[in-house]
Amino acid sequence: MEYGFDITYVFEFIPKLLDTLNITLFIVAGAIALGLFVGFLVALPRLYHIPVLQNISKIYVSFFRGTPILIQLFLFYYGLPEILKLVAIDLSKAPVLLFVILTFGLHTGAYVSENIRAAVLAVNRGQVEAAYAVGMTGYQAFTRIVLPQALAIAVPVFSNLVLAMVKDTSLAFTLGVMEMTGKAQTLGSLTQRYMETFVALAIIYLIICVTLERVLLIAERRLNRHNNRDQETRSWFKNRKRASLNQLTRELNLDKKEVPRYEA
Amino acid sequence: MKLDPVFIWTAFVQLLSAIPTTLAITVVSVFCGFIIGTITALSRLYRIPVLSQISTGYVTFIRGTPMLTHLLLIYFGLPMLVDGLSAQLGLGWNSAKIPMIAFAFISFSITAGAYMSEVVRSGLLAVDRGQIEAAWAVGMTTPQALRRIVFPQALAASLPNLSNSLIGMLHGSTLAFTVSVVDLNAKAQIVASTNWKFFEAYLAVALIFWGLTVLIERITGAIERRINLFRRGGVA
Repeated sequence: MEYGFDITYVFEFIPKLLDTLNITLFIVAGAIALGLFVGFLVALPRLYHIPVLQNISKIYVSFFRGTPILIQLFLFYYGLPEILKLVAIDLSKAPVLLFVILTFGLHTGAYVSENIRAAVLAVNRGQVEAAYAVGMTGYQAFTRIVLPQALAIAVPVFSNLVLAMVKDTSLAFTLGVMEMTGKAQTLGSLTQRYMETFVALAIIYLIICVTLERVLLIAERRLNRHNNRDQETRSWFKNRKRASLNQLTRELNLDKKEVPRYEA
Repeated sequence: MKLDPVFIWTAFVQLLSAIPTTLAITVVSVFCGFIIGTITALSRLYRIPVLSQISTGYVTFIRGTPMLTHLLLIYFGLPMLVDGLSAQLGLGWNSAKIPMIAFAFISFSITAGAYMSEVVRSGLLAVDRGQIEAAWAVGMTTPQALRRIVFPQALAASLPNLSNSLIGMLHGSTLAFTVSVVDLNAKAQIVASTNWKFFEAYLAVALIFWGLTVLIERITGAIERRINLFRRGGVA
């Protein structure tokens, strides 16, 4: 490799890679939609302690969280057609994208189910009881009282899941899907400018992730408005503008009360 | 093509030889990542002028891009850098001498570092400020207070996150096959394509990963119980 790094190629490659952005986003959207659906279905038996289904959903979650997504991708791509052949469904002509979205959807489903479970369990039991006490039905109590609170708790983790999914779509190239990473690989080997293509690729991913993070943060703030009261968190680092080791020792005078500052 | 249950076992046995590679990649990247993460987290928490900005940029960049991109960037970028340096300075280095696994080590350490930085940061922030003040009150210096009081508690608080990172890196190590390191995933591909039994081979490798993950979860669960002993309430 005798060439130097040429920044002009990066700018040249970015529009070319953006052509395949829609496939990446399609995978993300499909996987998240499927994941939300599956996650909800899987979380319910464990929340309501339904005997056998509860164990099945436990195993499902354990498996999908316990194996790498790349392995799952191969497993489904090679395994699913064979299994479905036994019940006389022919998947050999099915598009690869289907397997990718299915795997990613089931993978996120496991994480989403844990997310939902944790969020619902985090809502104080007294809230439901209070809802019952004022005469709400079970459905009303869930949609009016538990869901809004659980949503606010679930959103930070959920946004992490979405961002992880965006990054995981880069694995789809291993099955030959022409999404952004796959395109970058081809572009790299075509022009022999690997470094520039991957820098361009990284820039695009970075922009997508930062934008998504901002958008989801807005949603998070909006949903968490009811929680914005003074919290009594006294961390040994928080609320200081700049704190060197010396300053920390000097600032020990306790009459100086700190104003709580919320992290952006 | 029919499902061959016996071959799952055959593949399983053949795959066992690749476990050390996968574990080596995982452990090295988590260990180096922890060191990088601690440095970046401390420089961000203490707002050290230049270092903290670099750390923030580093963490944002790494967390905003897929692990695969880091690996590919290192894989193609590092030889350029090494060859360029050796040509410029006449050191006689050659990028061809770098073993493939080194690329995985370096790139995954960089990836893990950014994620670890957040783990370490949240762990340190979880320690109550009164703890370090009490340490100063009994006459400890700040390094002593950090080492004896803050770090042990921070470690206990961040243990679940650490175990998640470890599992994440274990799963991420499957990417090493893209730079032709024969880890579990690559071995599974080899076993699968030589025997033309893809499903069975991947099922076997999935079982291995599942087992390893459950093992890590169990071990950290036990450590967590031990390390959190000081937290128990009551009088005895």
